[in-house]
Amino acid sequence: MNMLVIDVIKRNGRRPNETYDTDKLQRSIRAACLSVRSPEGEAETISKKVAAAVTTWCEKKATVTSQDIRRITSKQLERYHPEAAYIYQHHRTII
Amino acid sequence: MGNFDIISSLAIIVLAGLIHASFQTSASVLTLLSGHALSSKTAHLRLLRLTGSFIIGTITFSILLLSSLAFLLTNLFPTSTPLIIWAISSGAVAGVGLSVWLFYYRRQQGTVLWLPRSFATYLRSRAKSTKQPAEAFTLGMTSTMSELLFLLAPLVITALVLIRLEPTLQLLGVALYAIIASLPLAIIYILIGGGHTIARIQRWRENNKRFLQFAAGSGLIILGLFVYIERVITYSVRSGGFGA
Repeated sequence: MNMLVIDVIKRNGRRPNETYDTDKLQRSIRAACLSVRSPEGEAETISKKVAAAVTTWCEKKATVTSQDIRRITSKQLERYHPEAAYIYQHHRTII
Repeated sequence: MGNFDIISSLAIIVLAGLIHASFQTSASVLTLLSGHALSSKTAHLRLLRLTGSFIIGTITFSILLLSSLAFLLTNLFPTSTPLIIWAISSGAVAGVGLSVWLFYYRRQQGTVLWLPRSFATYLRSRAKSTKQPAEAFTLGMTSTMSELLFLLAPLVITALVLIRLEPTLQLLGVALYAIIASLPLAIIYILIGGGHTIARIQRWRENNKRFLQFAAGSGLIILGLFVYIERVITYSVRSGGFGA
């Protein structure tokens, strides 16, 4: 597992904090790409690039909120795949 | 029953079906289900089977609800439906219409519905874990059930209309209602089957959510007024006034 010692404060503080996990982030970006019919290879490449950019952003901080991670990830993902970025950002507000 | 009565009865059923169709819980769950299925690399045919089963689940539950209500109302009012029942039902339908205008969507981004959050979380997690067509079928039934608070109004009006029709027309009425009510889901199914992305579908739904809310609310108010005029006032006048 690819871990940085950064505390992630979960949404609304309802769930306990987690340690930042690059692999978990990469999996969720990959899922967003696949859900908008991106080919598997492309989804893999984009998720690696975006996760790396977000990790670089996180490295300078001791704690981040899950909303921060979502916002920065969407911003980065927007550069490579706007539709995947839309789903990544909005999948919690579909219902 | 005259031709005019049959036409007006079918018109009420069509309008009620359209109102049912404008409610969004099942469309939201179907969008989520498709998204999760695609993200877990589900084969296209399997994706169509899952979404198809979901839609069959919603149709089955709508038909079961409508038939049960019709059965209950037939036993309660075997010969004729009292005017007070028509009056109460039309008032309730108009009231639900106002509630749709006021509360149907929450004031936040996306298409977040009025549903209690625990319900929404449950539907979201079930959509994510659904892998088999049988699970998708029950998810379709559950998503229809979770919208019952709003669906009950058009369903009761349709059931009240159905019980006064000939048996063959009753079957036609149930089929008509079920087909119209499931049209948006069928459109989403066709779009997904045709290769459209859920991002485009969801973006359209988000951009048009206020229109859909207005249409559903207005439809209910119009249905309430139509039923009140057609079933309460007209019958009262025909039978010699309200006092008769």
